[in-house]
Amino acid sequence: MEFITTPHAEHLPDPVFHWAWLILLAPIVGFLFQAALGRRIELALGKTAGRRLLGFAAVVPVAAGFILSVLLAVRLAGMDEHSRLVITSWFPWIDLQTLLVPFELRLDPLSLTMCLIVTGVGSLIHVYATGYMADDGDYSRFFTYFNLFIAFMLMLAMGNNLPLVFIGWEGVGLCSYLLIGYWYHDIENAKAANKAFIVNRIGDWGFALGIFLLYWVYASNQDLLPLGERRYLSFDVILPLAEQVLAGYGPLIVSVIPLLLFVGAVGKSAQWPLYLWLPDAMAGPTPVSALIHAATMVTAGVYLVARTHVFFELSTLSMAVVAGIGAFTALFAATVAFGQTDIKKVLAYSTVSQLGYMFLACGVGAFGAGMFHVTTHAFFKALLFLGSGAVIVAMSHNQDLRKYGNLRKYIPITCWTMLIGWLAIAGIPPFAGFWSKDEILASAFFSNLVQTPQILWFIGWVTAFLTAGYMTRMMMLTFYGNGERWRTAEAHAHADHSQEHFHADHGAQGEHDLAYFLTDDEVRAIEEEEHEHHHGLTPEHEPREVLPSMWVPLVALAALSLVGGAALSGLNPFAHLLGVHIPHLFEAWNHPSVGLSVLDEASAFRESIAIEWALIGASIGAAVLGIGLFARRYIKGLPESEAEPQGLQRLAGEQWLYDRTMVRLFVDAGGKFANAFYRIFDSGIIDGIFVNGSAKLVGAMGLLLRRSQTGSVRFYALAIAVGVVFALSYVIYTTTR
Amino acid sequence: MEVQGFGVLSLLVFLPVAGALAASFVPRNLLGFHRWWALLISAFTLFASLQLYVGFSGNTFHFQWREGMDWLPALGIRYQLGVDGISLWLILLTSLISFLGIWFSFHVRERVKEFMIWLLILEGAMIGVFCALDLVLFYIFFEATLIPMYFLISIWGGKNRVYSSVKFFLFTFLGSIFMLVAIVALYFISKAATGEGTFDLIALQALAADGRLATGPIEMWLFAAFALAFAVKVPLFPVHTWLPDAHTEAPTAGSMILAAIMLKMGTYGFLRFAFPLFPDAAVQAAPFLMGLSVVGIIYGAIMAAVQEDWKRLVAYSSVSHLGFVMLGIFSLNHNGLTGGTLQAINHGISTGALFLLVGMVYERTHTRLFQDYGGLKRRMPMFATLFLLIMLSSVGLPSTNGFIGEFLAMLGAFQAGANANSAIPLWMPVLAGAGVVLAAVYLLWMFQKVFYGPIRNPVVNRLRDIRPWEQAVAWVFVVFVFWLGLYPKFFTDKMQTSLNAVRHQTLQPPGARPAWADVRTIDINANGDVVVVQRDDLNDLGRWTEVAVRTPSGHQPQRLAMRGGEE
Repeated sequence: MEFITTPHAEHLPDPVFHWAWLILLAPIVGFLFQAALGRRIELALGKTAGRRLLGFAAVVPVAAGFILSVLLAVRLAGMDEHSRLVITSWFPWIDLQTLLVPFELRLDPLSLTMCLIVTGVGSLIHVYATGYMADDGDYSRFFTYFNLFIAFMLMLAMGNNLPLVFIGWEGVGLCSYLLIGYWYHDIENAKAANKAFIVNRIGDWGFALGIFLLYWVYASNQDLLPLGERRYLSFDVILPLAEQVLAGYGPLIVSVIPLLLFVGAVGKSAQWPLYLWLPDAMAGPTPVSALIHAATMVTAGVYLVARTHVFFELSTLSMAVVAGIGAFTALFAATVAFGQTDIKKVLAYSTVSQLGYMFLACGVGAFGAGMFHVTTHAFFKALLFLGSGAVIVAMSHNQDLRKYGNLRKYIPITCWTMLIGWLAIAGIPPFAGFWSKDEILASAFFSNLVQTPQILWFIGWVTAFLTAGYMTRMMMLTFYGNGERWRTAEAHAHADHSQEHFHADHGAQGEHDLAYFLTDDEVRAIEEEEHEHHHGLTPEHEPREVLPSMWVPLVALAALSLVGGAALSGLNPFAHLLGVHIPHLFEAWNHPSVGLSVLDEASAFRESIAIEWALIGASIGAAVLGIGLFARRYIKGLPESEAEPQGLQRLAGEQWLYDRTMVRLFVDAGGKFANAFYRIFDSGIIDGIFVNGSAKLVGAMGLLLRRSQTGSVRFYALAIAVGVVFALSYVIYTTTR
Repeated sequence: MEVQGFGVLSLLVFLPVAGALAASFVPRNLLGFHRWWALLISAFTLFASLQLYVGFSGNTFHFQWREGMDWLPALGIRYQLGVDGISLWLILLTSLISFLGIWFSFHVRERVKEFMIWLLILEGAMIGVFCALDLVLFYIFFEATLIPMYFLISIWGGKNRVYSSVKFFLFTFLGSIFMLVAIVALYFISKAATGEGTFDLIALQALAADGRLATGPIEMWLFAAFALAFAVKVPLFPVHTWLPDAHTEAPTAGSMILAAIMLKMGTYGFLRFAFPLFPDAAVQAAPFLMGLSVVGIIYGAIMAAVQEDWKRLVAYSSVSHLGFVMLGIFSLNHNGLTGGTLQAINHGISTGALFLLVGMVYERTHTRLFQDYGGLKRRMPMFATLFLLIMLSSVGLPSTNGFIGEFLAMLGAFQAGANANSAIPLWMPVLAGAGVVLAAVYLLWMFQKVFYGPIRNPVVNRLRDIRPWEQAVAWVFVVFVFWLGLYPKFFTDKMQTSLNAVRHQTLQPPGARPAWADVRTIDINANGDVVVVQRDDLNDLGRWTEVAVRTPSGHQPQRLAMRGGEE
């Protein structure tokens, strides 16, 4: 392993930074362990002991990564703030005379922030999953994918060049695909998995083109690069020179580069118009939704934008697009959340909406605030998802809000922790969400990158109100109200996903029966084992609190949601307004990577303390208003009119018909077109008319080849043979002469 | 430097043929003998081909392991063989895939003797294609591959085998007849130029390097004749329709070899013959052929998406994937050429493996229709895992081989398109990206239809997972998927100089094109510059001393005034 390099060579970096590779390798080892030995261990040790060992083995690499990340972060924080960048490289991946892409990791505040979130929240969710998946038929397969996900996510966060980030980028997409389709017996889950991968690929198309364009730009400006530098896609080469290199290009290229990268971010971070896959992704087990589809993977787009923020800052057009898409998505998804009846779908749209917030922050230049929201959102959204998982377990895997009610009585720990998450996302101080959300809103208000940024602020403000609203609806319907609605509702028709039973045809199966096919007894034994004993939700059901392995992570995340935001922000903006100087920890740590806060630069902010207080008041007001209005509506239980969502609510729930239109347009119509095209063009015109037609024509004309096409081939074979014979005889003739 | 008579390459070509000849004298009822004999011969060929790698130097673009002798001196036909950094990997791929194909063909129970004999003959002919340095010899090998493949399809194929084999034969044969005409024409052109006609590729290319071979419309026509033969093989849209039929109906080993190797004869032909002999025509035709490639990428993907037959879907995916190979090599820059050449190998690994895996299940169920599958992962988890890994390489997931090839090929095409003075429009590489999205569509749908959902078919319900020896064959492919995906440097290092040669032979003006005949003077250094070099030792191909750089990197190459005997 070579070679730590740092752009500021006066500090010889600590060799401890080599250990970054261990952060990455630990989950890879965990993945290989689960994949290779998981089933065998379970067979050898029995289900209980085997799963205890496997669960332990799954958590350890992630937790070890967290400890290492903390260690490295402390070391890095101890360095001078302008030299907080260490690159450690290993062997070359792509090594051509025109391009060098080494395996190299970049350790700076931004990448370590991501590492801390991924491994920290990741290990809590791993612990939770050991409990959640305890009774699943395929325990080790789950953790195989789960550990692999962590590895790819860390590669995405730490990779020092775009192709490495792309490995992580598509790798996490693969794990997402595998985990959404984890319960593949149900074909609908498999379809949701496909949708996620394919929609993401559309974004990746843009991302890849962005990489190509960057390569082209930097490779054609070798004279501006260090002599002999072939790492045209490495961040430490391209980021510092962005302004200099792009100075020679017109606004088209300068805008297209960030916009293409943003297309990738839109796919991965589920923004309009590509958010479509995320709600369907809820088909995966709930720990997956918490880790991948809330806390980490979906924030990768925000990370990418923050990482390459220098390119965005060069083009006001791209900033406006990012802010606009983010604001629109935030508002749009928040409205859709009101129409959901599935607890996880509410959280899914909430995630889409919060991700919109993060892009809104990036678009107004507040990359630090965006990353801050990534962090707090990881706390409270993971908490809410894991809490919803506990509710789902307690309710026999029924996810319908309309069947819940008064659950606080049965599952108090879940209830109390989720209440903290609820207040955090709603933006009530001092819970975590308030600090980051307020920072985003204030940055939007004072941004000088777009004209009339107050419009963006207003959209964000309305979204904050709606967020408090739909979350209140969800919480009230779940935990409050006097009616325990599953008791009154008619027994829920439980979809039994177990396969139909076959009466196999025992007819002739040839000589290889035993090698290829199972015997009747074996088939029976397997089917017995496969039969899952799902009990539907019955009126007699008594919900019970979940196991400690599940509620302990809930409590930990609740603690983070309670104090995480206040601690990281150093109680700013309050401290600042009251004249107390507490450093904004998150900004102080992160600004070498993502630039200073917009608020520090906005002079208006300093001038008018009244506006600042007004903004804080407005953002708290939105939260209180949203909670108050909707608590009144739902505190007693489900209003009769919502037994089946009606009118506007229903339309919102169906995503204002967007998904349906897209499916009709691209999937259904596209499929029909492709089918018709195949039959008419490929089989009909090319093959039918040109190929077979001309063959028939030749056949009809040919006097010698009258019989059939087969005859003509034999003739050709004969012709070649005769030719060869002639040639050979000529050889013999000339050589013996 | 040149072995007079026979050397390693002749061994590689004729060992399988001799093995086939020997087997023909053994009674047909000794099934075990025929199987193990073929496996032994192909294993030995594989082993011997590794020697090519070990002794190969990546520092020169000249042909290595050369051997030759006069064959028909009166006609200027030589028996001449050699490899460079492009053909090296294709020969290794051929011997590997042939070995694995023969191994997997142990399950064949009908007419085992003939089956193995045809496979061995095919292997010899294919290796011959990749090392022949005389146009007539090349043509003979090129055509000779058709005969064994024709019989493999028409005897051991599926229900529609007669139609498919005839179609396969006619398509490729008609395509290459024009090439034969062009080859003869080259003889007369060289005769007019030097007084002595020749079919020797090296001699002909030396003429082309000076602009004395063929120019203007004649060059265009000759290029078109070669291009047609190769385009049918690749296959390029719209001459692709033989492929789905032939691939689908062929027995498993036949499909593997067709996809993995025989399609590469087309792309190889462009690199080895069409570019160096007709450089100006190739540059002129590049936008057109790249356009066809892009159409093929999208078209093949859409066609694949609507197939109801598992094997046919994989077959159509080849049309799409080969488009990336063509896109890469026709972009005629280093990234593109490397990407295209890598992608040719990658496709051999991935699609060869897909046909193998489909064949394993077909062998059990005797159906290829998706409607007969579903839920296969429940009964065959190990098979599903292996299939997933191979499928991901076909999807082009980063860290697998598929990504490296497609990424570099598209990067090269993008570079070519983005340059302001380029004739290649930028929409081509941009649109080719849609092929990557569509690849996810059809491959994931395929995976879903076969492996996910409930089990619908009683036969599937009774299936056992694949046996250890079948797993072993598949794991070999998986190893290559990640080897190529994570450390492509191993492969590209010995490829770069030869690809630079092709690039300069095609793009430089006459007189500045490096010629294979110029053993003493002109070579290409690690930066891709044409340089004048001096060799210390005629027998040591690895040791060169650079004397002067003629084209500084990053600048337009200067015309080389002198070539040939210059010291």
